[in-house]
Amino acid sequence: MRITDPRGRSLLAAEYVLGTMTGRTRARFELWLRSDPGLRKEVAAWQGRLEPLSGTAAELKPSDRVWRGIAARISAGSAARESWLGSLAFWRGSSFVSAVAAALMFGYIALTPKDHALTPDNAMVVVMADDQSKPAMTVAWTPQQQGKPRLRIRVIGHKQMEPGTSWELWMLPGENQPPKSLGLITTHDTQYVEVPPEMKAKLDQAAGLAMSVEPERGSPTGLPTGPVLYSGNRLEI
Amino acid sequence: MMDSADSLDDLMARCALRDQRAFAELYRRSSGRLLAVAMRIVRRRDGAEDILQESFVNIWNHVTEYSRAKSAPMTWMTAIVRNRALDWARRPKHETSDEDVMDGLIENWEDDTPGPAQRLQQAGEAGQLTDCLRELSGQQRQSIALAYMHGLSHSELADHLGEPLGTIKTWIRRGLEKLRGCLEARNAA
Repeated sequence: MRITDPRGRSLLAAEYVLGTMTGRTRARFELWLRSDPGLRKEVAAWQGRLEPLSGTAAELKPSDRVWRGIAARISAGSAARESWLGSLAFWRGSSFVSAVAAALMFGYIALTPKDHALTPDNAMVVVMADDQSKPAMTVAWTPQQQGKPRLRIRVIGHKQMEPGTSWELWMLPGENQPPKSLGLITTHDTQYVEVPPEMKAKLDQAAGLAMSVEPERGSPTGLPTGPVLYSGNRLEI
Repeated sequence: MMDSADSLDDLMARCALRDQRAFAELYRRSSGRLLAVAMRIVRRRDGAEDILQESFVNIWNHVTEYSRAKSAPMTWMTAIVRNRALDWARRPKHETSDEDVMDGLIENWEDDTPGPAQRLQQAGEAGQLTDCLRELSGQQRQSIALAYMHGLSHSELADHLGEPLGTIKTWIRRGLEKLRGCLEARNAA
């Protein structure tokens, strides 16, 4: 298929865009497109001319599974994430980190009410989703900052915390290392958690974060024991 | 932080930098329209949603190649969705179409009835296209719109409009040439 006449080329491009060019002709035209920038331009022009016709139908709301499928496939660490969650289940069952060590760690972590804006550029963000992939909580922090890093947590889902339980935030270091507790959090819309300096480097490299439901004073074992409500991968923004 | 005032252009640029939140926002804003595009061509909800999913994975993977100078974001995304939908609709087992659905569609495109052409104008979108479509004959306009929006092939159009294949091909060819002439003249003016 070789047409040099501009009218013929434009018409072929139009029939290709319209979809009335079918079968082997369409396949050959697509091959031709790859090596002919002028023809690609012609196709783009027709796409632009006819595109307004696409806006004439009432919009439809895709079911949630569509975005879930997309999110799972585009997330570069999606395969890795599943393995961290797998290891989370594994570590949850083990209890060789002493409760004393866990209690010491909580001592480092304080909830602070003060507002502390993150610099918008170069931030780490974890969007934590529930099991329906709906964002329920976001955690953001600025890497390499002086002093104690501070996590800014936003709870979007407004889920109720059952009486006698607590929410515990976990860092998932990756590489099959056990989750590390970042302390207990509340149901407040916006809250801050200070991270001990020795955990800073690990946090900046962490695969993600998770939040589990624990007994009132936190996990007695230093590892997640209750259901994981939310989890997400770390993103660099 | 995501701003609802971000244009699709901005979102595309951020997607190219692998910003997944921008991509989620792009999806939120465009998936309703794009699902409707796929649905009109494949006429099955599950098939249309599969196409939407594949298309968005494709959009994410190729957004780095997207160029604003060549096409607007919605045009680019629509082309991806339509291509997949057309491939799907042309697979032999999907070729049967529902007569009742078709009759309804065609009625929408009878000359004087308020149909998609009027909605197009009401949407305030591309008045030029609307005006130029009006300059075509009803048969030309109908064939082009049915092919574009519902993905009908020449032979399907021939079946549904009850005209010989050659006639349909002529309507489409002449209609497209007229449309291009009209749009180019308006852009040059």
